[in-house]
Amino acid sequence: MDMAATFHEQRVFFSTSRRQGEGVEAIEGLGLRPALFAGYRDLSLLRHDFPLVLVAASREAITVRSLSGIVDEVLLEVAPRGIEGERLRKHALALEREIRARVAAGDIGLLSELWTAAAERVSAHDDETAKEVLRYTAAALKLDGEVVGCDLAMPAKFLAHLWEAAYAAKARAFRQAVDTLVVRLSDILRAAFIHSAAGQQPGALRASVGGAHQNMFDFDAMSRLVGRRAPKDELSPSRRRRIEGALAVLRGQRFFPDPKASSSPDAIVAFEFQFEDCASAVEAFRARLAALVETVRAMAIAELEADGRYIEADHDPFFESFGDHTLTPDDLALFPDSLVCIPPDRNASPENANLIEMLSSGLPVKVLVETRDLLEESSVGAGHFAFGVRSVRLAMTAMGLGGVFVVQTPSSNLLCLRAPIARGLDHRGPALFSVYSGAADPAASIAQYLTAAAAIESRAFPPFSYDPLAGDNLAARFSLENCPQPEADWPVESFEYADEQWQRVTERVAFTFADFVLCDRRHAAHFARVGRARWNARMRPVAEWLELPEKELTECIPYLWAIDAGDVLHRVLVDVRLIGAVRRCRTLWHRLREQGGVHNSHAEQLLAREKAAWEAEKQRPIEELKAAVTPAAGSPAQSAAGEEKAGAVAAMATTEAADVPAHSPDEAWIETARCPSCNECQLINDRMFLYNENKQAYLGDLKTGTYRQLVEAAESCQVAIIHPGKPFNPNEPGLEELMERAKAFQ
Amino acid sequence: MTMPVTQCLLKLHEDHHNLEDYQGGVPRWCSGCGDNAILAAVQRLCRDEDLSPERTVFVSGIGCSSRFPHYMKTYGFHGIHGRAFPVAEGIKMARPDLTVFVNTGDGDCCSIGAGHWIHAIRYNMNMTVMLHDNHVYGLTKKQASPTSPIGFKSNTTPRGSYLNALNPLTVTLGVQNVSFVAQAVDWVPEVLYDIISAAYHHRGFSFVRIIQRCPEFLPKMFESWLADPQKTLLLTHANGLTLTPELSRTYKNQLAHDPSNIDRAREIASGEDPIPVGILYRNPEVPCYEDVRHAGQMRTPEHIRVGLEAELDRFTVWPKNAEPAQRAV
Repeated sequence: MDMAATFHEQRVFFSTSRRQGEGVEAIEGLGLRPALFAGYRDLSLLRHDFPLVLVAASREAITVRSLSGIVDEVLLEVAPRGIEGERLRKHALALEREIRARVAAGDIGLLSELWTAAAERVSAHDDETAKEVLRYTAAALKLDGEVVGCDLAMPAKFLAHLWEAAYAAKARAFRQAVDTLVVRLSDILRAAFIHSAAGQQPGALRASVGGAHQNMFDFDAMSRLVGRRAPKDELSPSRRRRIEGALAVLRGQRFFPDPKASSSPDAIVAFEFQFEDCASAVEAFRARLAALVETVRAMAIAELEADGRYIEADHDPFFESFGDHTLTPDDLALFPDSLVCIPPDRNASPENANLIEMLSSGLPVKVLVETRDLLEESSVGAGHFAFGVRSVRLAMTAMGLGGVFVVQTPSSNLLCLRAPIARGLDHRGPALFSVYSGAADPAASIAQYLTAAAAIESRAFPPFSYDPLAGDNLAARFSLENCPQPEADWPVESFEYADEQWQRVTERVAFTFADFVLCDRRHAAHFARVGRARWNARMRPVAEWLELPEKELTECIPYLWAIDAGDVLHRVLVDVRLIGAVRRCRTLWHRLREQGGVHNSHAEQLLAREKAAWEAEKQRPIEELKAAVTPAAGSPAQSAAGEEKAGAVAAMATTEAADVPAHSPDEAWIETARCPSCNECQLINDRMFLYNENKQAYLGDLKTGTYRQLVEAAESCQVAIIHPGKPFNPNEPGLEELMERAKAFQ
Repeated sequence: MTMPVTQCLLKLHEDHHNLEDYQGGVPRWCSGCGDNAILAAVQRLCRDEDLSPERTVFVSGIGCSSRFPHYMKTYGFHGIHGRAFPVAEGIKMARPDLTVFVNTGDGDCCSIGAGHWIHAIRYNMNMTVMLHDNHVYGLTKKQASPTSPIGFKSNTTPRGSYLNALNPLTVTLGVQNVSFVAQAVDWVPEVLYDIISAAYHHRGFSFVRIIQRCPEFLPKMFESWLADPQKTLLLTHANGLTLTPELSRTYKNQLAHDPSNIDRAREIASGEDPIPVGILYRNPEVPCYEDVRHAGQMRTPEHIRVGLEAELDRFTVWPKNAEPAQRAV
């Protein structure tokens, strides 16, 4: 075979995407997929995160679980060690496999329903024991919820489920606060009524004792008796109006109405907070803003009234001008956040044109933007792949807005990111969840889960989260979530296959952006299969080819490893346009990972500078080095810090010395800090012995007492902290004896 | 950092209190009584934390120490012997927003009230408990209490008490759900304040045993401890007490103790000489009973009305075709 001609044909394809000659074949119809997908033909046979169970009405933090995790938990509880346990495990895992297969086939329902149906199918092919075992495991199933596979509808369901959990938590806190205020305000009104003339009428008194004892009392006499106390209305008209107004607003609010009262005919209908487009969410927010302001106002009034701290002169003007400008983010945080799940086909619709504006305005809204196509052609028609342009740029733009919580992830990674997603839903402010949910036009019947996972591996849609309130620096705020091998340009995995002689061969294969594109049949024109007979040394794997020196690039052709439907291995050439897209993807990945602190250019420059300085230092003559190093045994900065520290210690010592007051034996004084406030000294003379702001004794004016009192106080002090010193009045009688007694306290 | 409108408004006219604002009646304890030191420390805490007197409750049983609520200008409940804990628990259950303190004595808590004491520890309700332990029944003029030392001669034990003293610390540390245990002495006021402050900030049942002098009936009891600072062992830790340099100079006998270590806490608590002073044990993870049992639904008038109507509907004879279920359909 003419290898020069072969290379020429391959070169032509690489440069022009034209297949010239017999050695370069089209891949349409071959059902090719990346070689690393070889082990993932039937996902229902593999234990992985999916399907998920959206746990219903869970009070736990974890409201989304994987089916595998639940089965493991059940087995941990019911499966004993030994052969019995193994049998149980075998049946339970078969059941799990059955559920997974049914969900992949499109079955939907609750876990308990799918479990029962799967148990019947599994045990139908087995003996009675299997049925019994599966019934036993079903009894250990403690939770239930909707089971969802990794399909197109899943991201919205997943996010809505977590949002509902956040909503329920908020509702509990809000209802607790509002109900407490309602009870306290009602108590004020009730107490006022009881003390009023109306409350002391015979009828009111009769009603207050209940039916069983109504004939035991003379309520007319009772009314006359209690009425002697000059009944009065304790509430001024303005206060009553305020309290009743606040009560009416709190009882009628529609943000979190009383769930118990929902069955009554006059039940309050709650506001709806889930939307499908931004315009509806904004419109609803505007429409409800007045009600929200009114509720916050009522809560503030109620709190002040319940505490008896409402001062009309100060608060009336404030509440008169109360409006949306008065609200703080903390006030908004009390109320439900809107959830906007934008369907993929409406990403670019006019209703969502103001998405960025809505996010930047700080409205309490959580937005799911779902993308199904990362390989769409750019609207400007630049002739290259505009992979993920819209969605990737959206997430990065949202990060730049400052206060927006951002999560970007393919749908296959949602379970792993449930914690940051839950944090995003709790975030006080807007949040954006950008999710890629699978290929628009998959080749070779590749499962959606696999396509989404490939978007992570190929760096086409790397997952990350950005929490604007997590800290003062980017390291705290930004996190690359579950990115495989972040240090590398592309993740590299081991790939094993059998060669023509049926010998096992192991290769390290990188999963590049080109592999991801191979999954999409729309871009088959960018690939060409090369028959085994024409494989040559100038063909290089894409990742390797990208690393070649500039001058060698023309000497070699990039290719991918691919497999067909029969698991036969192929080499697939990649054209120059796709290589351009691969390079661009790599560049974007480099920029993103630098934000995540991987290969940070600033840090690397600093390191290089420091290393160079260190090398230069090492080159100096040893004597000079010794002379330079000995005084500080470290950097000049450390030396300065050491001196500073020594200075501080010296200063502290000085301060400590200063803290101890120098008292001469002739001076009268009290160790105030040790005074236990026992009152002994004050009982002797409360003008000579005074208490400071901490109720500990110190000496006041000695002339307000006698030396005798000073000595007696010292003797009676339980903790012996009074030092009488020398007499201050030489004419005081009995000084000699007192001085003798005082010696014990000098 | 922002703040809700309500908080801003409440702060607009926030009351600030000084020590005298918490001073109730003039204490009628004997001169030199250790209760004075505890009162001073508690009043200081109230001032420093700016506790609203109308939202603070002191509950006590019977005894010298139990006169405490009279001397605090807050809400108070001078209860019956040994029953300070149930009263305090009731208050906390009904009004979890109130700050509840319990002042009890060694007789009140460890003798007649022992049953309530044990279960109060187990309930772990959020309150600060101060056990004023002077080792004697003082109010009734010198009878032996459960914590009186062996051989103590009193009106009820004229030949000296026969039993070893009960150790309230080891008892408390032995009860399930214990969450905070500390020991203080009235003659080191700075540490006394720090410990009561730490107890106040702990969410749960904070038990502080305060060894105090009774100058009337046990005047010599703690003389050697007062004279020799080495006989007071101060427990220090980054998560416990940190001492000022002045205090460290006086009380040199110190031991680093991590309050999360319950085994070590029990070991230290069983020591009597030197007296261990500091935070022995602290576990903020133990759930509070009021949180566990909270109904999750306030009984608003509407809630009561809906509940009553639902209950009455069960026995209502409805006109034909007007039953609620049918109406709903």
